[in-house]
Amino acid sequence: MSSAAQEFLRRAVEKSADLTHRQIIRRGVDQYSSANDRGRSRFSDWEAARQRCHEIKWEALNNLDRYLLEFEQRVKERGGHVFWAADSAEACRYITELAVSRGVRKMVKSKSMVAEEIHLSPALEKVGVQAIETDLGEYIVQLRDEPPYHIVTPAMHLTRKDIAALFKEKLGDVDTDDPVELVAAARRALRRDFFSAEMGISGANFLVADAGMIAVTTNEGNGRLCTSVPRIHVALAGIEKVIPRLQDLAVFWPVLATAGTGQPITCYNTLIGGPRKPNEVDGPEEFHVVLLDNGRSELLADVEQRDVLHCIRCGACLNVCPVFRTVGGHTYGTTYPGPIGSVLTPHLRGLDEFQHLSYASSLCGACTDACPVKIDLHHHLLENRRNAVNRSTRPWTERIGFKIWQWTMGSAARFRFMGGLARMALRAAHRLGLDGTAFDPMGPWSKNHAAPRVPEKSFRALWGKDHAAN
Amino acid sequence: MPQTENPSREKILARIRTALREPAPRHEAAGASAIFAPVTGLLDRFQKECAINLTEYVAVPNLRASGAAIKEILAALPPGEIFVQDSPDLRELASEWQDGRMIQWSSEGGPKESSQATISACEALVAQTGSVLVSAACGGRGASVVAPVHIVVATVTQLLPDIDAALARVQERGIVAQNSFLCLITGSSRTADIEKILVMGAHGPRRLIVVLAMS
Repeated sequence: MSSAAQEFLRRAVEKSADLTHRQIIRRGVDQYSSANDRGRSRFSDWEAARQRCHEIKWEALNNLDRYLLEFEQRVKERGGHVFWAADSAEACRYITELAVSRGVRKMVKSKSMVAEEIHLSPALEKVGVQAIETDLGEYIVQLRDEPPYHIVTPAMHLTRKDIAALFKEKLGDVDTDDPVELVAAARRALRRDFFSAEMGISGANFLVADAGMIAVTTNEGNGRLCTSVPRIHVALAGIEKVIPRLQDLAVFWPVLATAGTGQPITCYNTLIGGPRKPNEVDGPEEFHVVLLDNGRSELLADVEQRDVLHCIRCGACLNVCPVFRTVGGHTYGTTYPGPIGSVLTPHLRGLDEFQHLSYASSLCGACTDACPVKIDLHHHLLENRRNAVNRSTRPWTERIGFKIWQWTMGSAARFRFMGGLARMALRAAHRLGLDGTAFDPMGPWSKNHAAPRVPEKSFRALWGKDHAAN
Repeated sequence: MPQTENPSREKILARIRTALREPAPRHEAAGASAIFAPVTGLLDRFQKECAINLTEYVAVPNLRASGAAIKEILAALPPGEIFVQDSPDLRELASEWQDGRMIQWSSEGGPKESSQATISACEALVAQTGSVLVSAACGGRGASVVAPVHIVVATVTQLLPDIDAALARVQERGIVAQNSFLCLITGSSRTADIEKILVMGAHGPRRLIVVLAMS
């Protein structure tokens, strides 16, 4: 078992027994789910919206080279720079070199999962640039020196008391657990940073090819300050974020909001293309877009799972997932948690190391139903299991076990024979007092479950007797 | 400034093209039903949506009357500078509400952190969501996010049914090409990052006020 898998299991056991944690998460997802219901009811046909999003993303991904080139050309016409990064190291190098060459001391950052993926903040800190998260949730987890818990609500696992204690320790000027006061304290602290930073970094929810603009969605307005006040703006996005037309946002903006938080639409849906124009009042002097591949082109080559790249990072699949709700976001130990993370991570970081995530699912399909761009998530988890088996990365005991199972299931007689054998073996083990010891054949099961007693007669025997009596 | 060097550009494009040799399957459309119900009764809808997203809505008979409405709003605010988009309409209106207030015009640079409010026009209003669409031409990027109060001066002729129509409008009129920034604003800045409790005024304005002239 990989060390990532062992860590996952260890944390899953711990978190699923943590009742306070489960209560916090339940309250969070319950609120999401009622807001999401209200949001969906504003569409005359939510399924038609999903279908439209699927079609737009399909068109974009299956003509990805063309739309990326169109986007690049339009951004350049607007006076912006476009850098193509093959991997995390290249993306980090470009941004850190840019920061150093422009004398940047402080960088303010709005929420970007890609920045988490490439570990941008540590890379900037290493060259002496202070990197400050400005999304309130991200700011909180940064102060705690933790990764985000959830794609959309990074501090979902914390109570206001936790946050109050944190702010009292780190910010000093606040001593209350009133959310209004806590938000005001963060606002005061971060305002100083917005107006003293030389560089702002944002993600991009969409790269709009025909407009040559990035689209950034934010409720708090931090993404707007990051891209308005500092003199350099760097936007960081995966190559899969491109969409063909500005007009496509008329469906994507409401769909992203509804799937993400349940809102009809997010407060600020911003479009940015290029640095400030000569006749404009304000805005950065430089605008850079970093397009990140980092394994995405490989996933693109996988026809079966190409639609994983349709993901708009709304977090809906996390909220509805019974596994996520039980083990929480940090247990995954990955940048992208929940069902989308379980599908995506083996592609980005290796199937051998992360195949266990394909089993972090009940295959109930709630994620697939919730996905606003119709990614076939739970089938992709099955496909990853199959791929792991085909690549012989499963343990030999499992392979032999399934060989025996296959042979057993091949005929009624073999099934009867093996069933009888198993009942005898289990009864013998019980009589010898092996229950709960290292030699208990039911050990792996009864460690976490109450093992039922083996019945005297098999179902088959009971069935035969009852039918004979009738 | 030197051209951005792009050592991996060709490599990534080549990988993409190789990957795309085989097309991906797609979900078949079940039927072409409408995603949103058509928006009718624009003004009514706009007003309702503003109430939902907590935008303050002030109707005035004409543009000239906006001055008095603005004056009333500003009277309740602490003393301090007001940032105003430098346009002929808003210049003319300023005499109606200024009343000794310091004004910083957008032609003099971006808004200061100490501004008490900003006043700007907009490119369009969206009835479907009760939104305001602004561009860099509406006083710049900071005009709608730096100060604690943002007052938008608009006329009812700017009201469009939905986001689709608003995006089409700004593209047709060259506003997308002429501006480095556009923003569809729906309500004022907010967060629910602490226990999912809604708090207004996270990083941007606490209040968004639309002063709408009926003619």
